[in-house]
Amino acid sequence: MSTTTTEKRPRTRKPTTTHSTLIIGAGFTGLGTAIKLREAGVEDVVILERADRVGGTWRDNTYPGAACDIPSLLYSFSFAKNPNWSRAYSPADEICAHIEDITDDFDLRRLIQFDTEVTALDYDRREGTWTASTAGGQQYRARTVVLASGPLSNASFPNMRGIETFEGKKILSAQWDHDYDLTGKNVAVIGTGATAVQIIPEVVKKAASVKVFQRTPGWVMPRVDVPTPKLAQAVFAKVPAVQQAARNALFLSHEVAATGLVWDTPVTTLIQHVGRAHLRLTVKDAWMRRQLTPEFRAGCKRMLMSSDYYPALQKDNCKLITWPIATIVPEGIRTADAIEHHVDAIIFATGYDVQLGGPPYPITGTAGRVLQEEWAGHAQAYKSASTHGYPNLFFTAGPNSGPGHNSLLVYVQGQIDYAVAGIKTILDKDLVSLDVRPDVQAKYNESMQKRLKRTTWMSGCTSWYLTKDGFNGAMYPGFATQYLRQMKNFRAEDYDMVSHGARRLWNVPAAQAV
Amino acid sequence: MGTTMDMEEMLQKIKDRQWALADIDWDAPGAELITDEMRPKLKAFMADLCWIENVGARGFAAMAKKAPNDTIAEIYRYFHAEEQRHANAELALLKRWGMLEDGEIPEPNVNIRLAIEWLDKYADNMSLSVLGTVIPMLEVALDGALLKFLLDEVDDPICHAVFEKINNDESRHIAVDFAVLDMLGHAKARKLAIEFVSGVASPGLIIGALMYIPLLNRVRNEVVDMGLQPERLYGAMGRFKKLGDRGEATHRVPLYQVLKWHAAMVIDPKHPYHLLANTMVTLSDHYPKFLLRPIPSWFKELTYEPVSSTVDKPGTRKDAA
Repeated sequence: MSTTTTEKRPRTRKPTTTHSTLIIGAGFTGLGTAIKLREAGVEDVVILERADRVGGTWRDNTYPGAACDIPSLLYSFSFAKNPNWSRAYSPADEICAHIEDITDDFDLRRLIQFDTEVTALDYDRREGTWTASTAGGQQYRARTVVLASGPLSNASFPNMRGIETFEGKKILSAQWDHDYDLTGKNVAVIGTGATAVQIIPEVVKKAASVKVFQRTPGWVMPRVDVPTPKLAQAVFAKVPAVQQAARNALFLSHEVAATGLVWDTPVTTLIQHVGRAHLRLTVKDAWMRRQLTPEFRAGCKRMLMSSDYYPALQKDNCKLITWPIATIVPEGIRTADAIEHHVDAIIFATGYDVQLGGPPYPITGTAGRVLQEEWAGHAQAYKSASTHGYPNLFFTAGPNSGPGHNSLLVYVQGQIDYAVAGIKTILDKDLVSLDVRPDVQAKYNESMQKRLKRTTWMSGCTSWYLTKDGFNGAMYPGFATQYLRQMKNFRAEDYDMVSHGARRLWNVPAAQAV
Repeated sequence: MGTTMDMEEMLQKIKDRQWALADIDWDAPGAELITDEMRPKLKAFMADLCWIENVGARGFAAMAKKAPNDTIAEIYRYFHAEEQRHANAELALLKRWGMLEDGEIPEPNVNIRLAIEWLDKYADNMSLSVLGTVIPMLEVALDGALLKFLLDEVDDPICHAVFEKINNDESRHIAVDFAVLDMLGHAKARKLAIEFVSGVASPGLIIGALMYIPLLNRVRNEVVDMGLQPERLYGAMGRFKKLGDRGEATHRVPLYQVLKWHAAMVIDPKHPYHLLANTMVTLSDHYPKFLLRPIPSWFKELTYEPVSSTVDKPGTRKDAA
């Protein structure tokens, strides 16, 4: 899934046309952007998708138990609602089917180039265009680009001692092998994060034995996952305003949680009390409770939402192991207490190759600057959407855009609005380039870092939100309401603009001389 | 030891030096070298040794929660597991020598039981300066006296191979123990005083001392019974002082001074302290069994099996109690 160059480099085919907008990725974000762009009158849009289907992360993550951990009513776009969610927290296949439906309902399929993996993005300063090179050799050119390839789109086996020697079946949660039957097998699960707490209850139902190898326990909140009543589905379908009202209520209740999950406050302590009570009520053994008690402030790492994880760990065929893993051996896993655990399969729920330093393909902006080099230390952008030196390019899920308490899609909707406003400005004003001013960007990031200081993410734990040196370029320190307000407000004066008209005016003599 | 230890380097070394029961050929010849005369005493001693390792393991588990930084916390996580590893290896030796039935785990004596109760109740609430002083004492006693003595008495080459590995681990434990103790000594005097007063005046530590004194003397009596020169144990106690005094600031940790003073009494066989301590051993023999709380589940995780193929829940195995 990564962007390794193939041995036989296909012949490059230069683009023949310049599109208005290129969107990279046909997941929720890419498709949502296309819908909103066309609503705004931008029709010449091309979506590049590396796979052969839409769905992004919901197409790739098909592990047993995969589901959203924010209620579906809120984990969806307000402009593309689904009245038929079967449950409060919908399973992955239902979300993926919904994304397919959106694609057809909004007639987006014809915009998508499938099996087209972007390998590089280059900016042409003179023309004010971006060229996307792809693995197949075809190049695409456009005046504007929206990066919608997702921050957690790649995953790989972790670099663990002895992993290459294991002779059993290795399963990566993000690339689940459905042909391998876990029934009656002895299985190890490495990791106890958001993915693992969804996988474990399902695997325990099938496997002969499940050993769960934990490094750091997380805060687990109960998740009340009930089927949506038929009546509610009918009402949502007939009166969309009711669904919107339910969505608003959910939005507000999540906003309240920010007072404890975003900022480190007494509410954080209250949330920890709820977590401990959940543990006390569902786990019988005192030592196991101790093993499962987190040692960091709630919210510092991603919150885990599950009501069946703790019960699953206590099933007769499941065991929680907290000894450090010494090495993986051909037959299984050796722990530091000198015991070798022989298993048929190891499930790695060890997270993603988080792209804190930009997408996995090189992006070259003005004057040959490369985004990944600039972001190698600390990623920064203006309002998470624009970065100086990369004109006409809009990020989604960009630096400091992550929510710790609310639906990612609510934030994405704000990012889409912002990108559409920027793209409309470029097209309507006939701009060569729209580049955020470096001073504006610097000031914005200074305030971000200042505001981040009091957040739970900076309360002392290590997490994938932070770089190795403890810099937080991932999360947005505020309410979703604040974030949406800033994204609604596209301020042209924050950008340096060069228009085609002005350039033609100034370049007249030169052009005549040619 | 006056210079600060590179904890990152130490953690890497620990990760590189892991070993497992599966590395050892438990059926290799040599088990027959254990004489029938030795058997009952050796079994009692090994059982205590194995439980003391397990008690030490629980101590490290408590310390992992108090560690001053992530690296030391990770080191303690390993040490916790390594003490468990030692206990498992010692059980495997007992099994090799035919001293355990299938599934049998030796029974902990009453002093061990009391120590476990204490650990389970109080250890997680003790400050690092208290735990960080008591644990090195336990380890030095283990490493310096008991293990070395065992090797003098037992000729089984597998036993020697196992204890060579255990000793290598223990030397890293002791090095880190004393480096941390020295680090603690660099803390502000006020902090040390507060932690000492709150720690020592706490019922937790007073009760802890009441557990520790007879436990130490029982083991002392046991090994003396087996023919250990008490000087061996005393030598180990002296080593605690020697290693501690080498640290630049260790002497500033108040509890270190208390333990040193205590060690001096233990070393002196004529000291009236032994009257008290041995009385406590006798008294503890009469400790009413019904007052003992159920054995915590972490205590039942020990195994002599090098390989685990299915889920083996505590309690499904033959209970130790």
